[in-house]
Amino acid sequence: MPSDTGGNGSLVPFSGDSTAVYPLHHGLASPIRRISISFSCGNSLRLSLFAAASAKIVEVKLSGEDNEISDAHRRRIAYGSVAPFAMLQSRRSSLSALLKTPSPYHSDWWEHVLQYSKEIGSLLGGPKLTPSPIIENPSAIVKGGEEATSLKAAWELIEMFYVDKQSQAWLPERLVDWLADYDSLFTSTHETIHGKLVDFEKELVNIQVIEDDPRYWDLLSSALSVGWLDIVAKMLRLHGSYQLDQLSHREIENGLVEAVALLISQMPHLRPESVGKLGECYKSKPDFIKAWEKWRSQITKLDCSPYWIQCDNQQTREGLRNLLQIMLGNSESLCMATCYWIELYISHFLYIRPFTMGIESMYNLAQKCIQLKPRSSTHRLSGLMIGILEENTEVVLAECSREFGPWLVAHAIELLTAGSEQAEMLLHEERYSLGGISIAELHRLVYAQILSSHALTWQIAPIYLTSCMKQGMGLLENLLYRQSVQHNDVLLKNIEICRLYELDHISSNIMKIAGVYHWKHGRKGAGVFWLQQAQDASCLDRIAQQLFDSVGKSISDENFKQWEGMIELLGSESKPAGGLEFLHKYRDFKKSLQKVSVGKSTDAARQAVGSLILLMKNPSTPQRFWLPLLYDSLKLLNWQDCPLLSVSETNLLLNKLQELSLAKLRPQYTEPSLPSDALSSIRLALAINLGRAILDE
Amino acid sequence: MAVRGIQRFPQNQYVDAVRWLPIESALERLAVVALFDLDSDASSIQIHSLNLNQSSLEPYSSWASPSRISSLKASHFLNKPLIVASTSGGSLHLLFSDSSDASFQSQVSLPEGSLHSVPASSVDLLDGGVQCVTAGEDGKLNLVAISDSNLNYRRLFDSAGLVSYTAVRWASPSEFATAGYGFTLHWWDHRKPGGPVSHFKANWDKKFTSGIVHSIDIHPSRKHTCLAGGSLGTVFAWDLRWQQQPIILSGAGAGSGNNAIQSISESEVWEVQYDRCIKSNTSSTRILPSMICSEDGILGVIEQGEEPIELLAEPCAINSFDIDQHNPTDVICSLEWEAVAILTRQ
Repeated sequence: MPSDTGGNGSLVPFSGDSTAVYPLHHGLASPIRRISISFSCGNSLRLSLFAAASAKIVEVKLSGEDNEISDAHRRRIAYGSVAPFAMLQSRRSSLSALLKTPSPYHSDWWEHVLQYSKEIGSLLGGPKLTPSPIIENPSAIVKGGEEATSLKAAWELIEMFYVDKQSQAWLPERLVDWLADYDSLFTSTHETIHGKLVDFEKELVNIQVIEDDPRYWDLLSSALSVGWLDIVAKMLRLHGSYQLDQLSHREIENGLVEAVALLISQMPHLRPESVGKLGECYKSKPDFIKAWEKWRSQITKLDCSPYWIQCDNQQTREGLRNLLQIMLGNSESLCMATCYWIELYISHFLYIRPFTMGIESMYNLAQKCIQLKPRSSTHRLSGLMIGILEENTEVVLAECSREFGPWLVAHAIELLTAGSEQAEMLLHEERYSLGGISIAELHRLVYAQILSSHALTWQIAPIYLTSCMKQGMGLLENLLYRQSVQHNDVLLKNIEICRLYELDHISSNIMKIAGVYHWKHGRKGAGVFWLQQAQDASCLDRIAQQLFDSVGKSISDENFKQWEGMIELLGSESKPAGGLEFLHKYRDFKKSLQKVSVGKSTDAARQAVGSLILLMKNPSTPQRFWLPLLYDSLKLLNWQDCPLLSVSETNLLLNKLQELSLAKLRPQYTEPSLPSDALSSIRLALAINLGRAILDE
Repeated sequence: MAVRGIQRFPQNQYVDAVRWLPIESALERLAVVALFDLDSDASSIQIHSLNLNQSSLEPYSSWASPSRISSLKASHFLNKPLIVASTSGGSLHLLFSDSSDASFQSQVSLPEGSLHSVPASSVDLLDGGVQCVTAGEDGKLNLVAISDSNLNYRRLFDSAGLVSYTAVRWASPSEFATAGYGFTLHWWDHRKPGGPVSHFKANWDKKFTSGIVHSIDIHPSRKHTCLAGGSLGTVFAWDLRWQQQPIILSGAGAGSGNNAIQSISESEVWEVQYDRCIKSNTSSTRILPSMICSEDGILGVIEQGEEPIELLAEPCAINSFDIDQHNPTDVICSLEWEAVAILTRQ
């Protein structure tokens, strides 16, 4: 409850100190008598507050924990991931049908998963298409452009460790790239090299002699420690000794800067070629080791060079030699140069243990780095990374779910199980504690529920629900029943989903609901249409009675044209129309009666009598129409040329009159608005016809 | 006919309808987009400027609508672009725009509840923009006379809910056609009030399930033929001269055995328009080629007696489309997943 009303204003007492309290400004005078809470559009809660004399409605927007990605972007990701997800599911089922084994894991299954992972990854944001500036800004150090999100960083991290078998051999180098792309994200929780570089870049214009600034050398060693060679090379070019007017008297100093820059650009990497990046790449391990040893010996040689003594700029001398220490893998220098454990971890891969190793030793190294750089606050990506290195699938899932939400969990499960039988077992095993479903299904259901709760995404929830073996179909039925029937487009989209999943019983129920809804809101034609589509004869019977009530006498007057449309809708007699088929017969009778009134053909009159008898025989003809029907047909009863009704037919009509006179005694009988002598003239006509018919037969 | 290029533009809002703004300009291409923002429950009509070379579709001007747009048309009035929109609240809005800067100049409207009650109504504008006809699911038909300062309307017919109308289209300055439930079509002449002049209800195959017509079109050169698209992928033409015999162009229930007609879609056909791009022999008795979009994500061209051509197969529904009058190779369409796509044909 709003804290601004004070302690005595709260409606619901709460205890415990873990509850987050958000003040709500409603401007009403205390006390609030009643409060009603309902869901509004989107992620909003509608609070209706009632005070003594006034009331107010306040909408509270419930925003996700994550402000990095807007709701619209989140929906775009949801839409985009439907096709890759569905594709992977169908591949899995066709593969398992092919192999006829319970486990669909084929040797190259991970390739399918990798393709899926790349497609999903591309949804999370690629390089931004910003036009490159025509004149390159010489002081721009940090590359911009790409919009990094934690979600994309998490996805790539999972892909790297679980799916991409091809690049397992150069996993450390991939981690180097990963940090280069996403170091900026960690700035939100603690100091990072990226953050320091950005700050320094801003001040660059104010610095006169860059090599005299200690931050310049600090940042150079920092950037080098995490392998951002391009940035280091660019920054070294800013060194004062490169300026034309100084070149002559700082020759040796400049030579040393150049030598270090050259060594940096020759740093060997164990990885396939990387386009446009500094360093030399080696695909095979022996080649790499050879190159690595050669490079290291060159660094040592430079470190022992006599030129250092001749260099009289102390800042340059110390700064450059520190860079050499980094490249030589001096762990103290590395620890000084980096800001937090992941940066330190990466620097260890680069300069201390450049060879690939097993996950277990990677984990031990991580622990060592965490000890060296104790965490004051943990970033969510760091938690995820530890979980992955621990090889603890449950921790990874928990981190994903807690920090990144259900979308990531539902889609990342495919990656986690791609190469590991053990993870596959863990995630797909049915659990009693979860009501008989597996962890994988649970997370899929949770994600589907979130999709279902939004009017723009509910249509994609069925894709996820139908991939859930145990509970999916039940929840799908729930979802379909819950959709509004007010608008035709939503209703038809709903019915289309029923058609796709062969849920005929549901679509027929939805049509019934729609029929009754339209009927109740005065759209009688639409109501009848949907009830007919649902083949609900009993409901049609019931509404037929109401329809005739509301019609009253209008059906017998000239205003019949309005009814044409409805009768047309009822279609041919093969269609179920319930009690409404009366309308059909009545229209036919009216038409033939009209023909009789124009001409004097006995054939037409006989046809009209046929229709009349059919109507009177039919049990669905409402009793209140009997008298008006007979009154309308007086001309037929009094036909000049010959009696049109046979004895039995006349008797039938007389019996109906008799029934009517009995019905008159009942309280609910309503008198049709006909002339007062209507009944007697019908009686007379029938009696005369009976007499003539007897004589004829 | 091949597709030369397709560009998708996310809108971050639900797209209720799209139209090209018919202006003759070599420099600029303008599109009208009706949007609905679910989070703020706000609807708007926006004019977007399209630059295909830079693949940009940028909003130029926007007008806030009181409720969601259920039908949108764009035409001319006194040589100025005119946009007509009917809303799910039953109101009608005419937006006069300036062709030089694509801004909204003035707006006249009939308030909610005057023409139609909920839930949806359809509107069509006579070429030249002097008169509108509106038809609603509430069973009302109205004629609206337009001047640039006010609107006068006349109720032409009220079925009192016994019949619901889902689409309306002018055939001539005095005649128009309406469509509704049960694949019905009605032909009206506003000089003869009191009911439709002619109505069409085919005796479809007994097993054939009925459906709703969502969209109709009438070609200016063939005013006696009404093209209709609706449920179950059904597209048919009704020639007034052969009253009870529909010419089925596509549909799940259409034909059987050897004379089965290939169906382009099995779900709702949301919009149908004659395709101005294909030059057909005008003396031919065949139905002119038409374009459709559907719930199962198909944008395609249907020609009588030919195999249908699929231009676009999206993973989500295509809810509306429009062919550019001046560049008939270009098609704009609205996608269910909050996006607009622009397709260029060869």
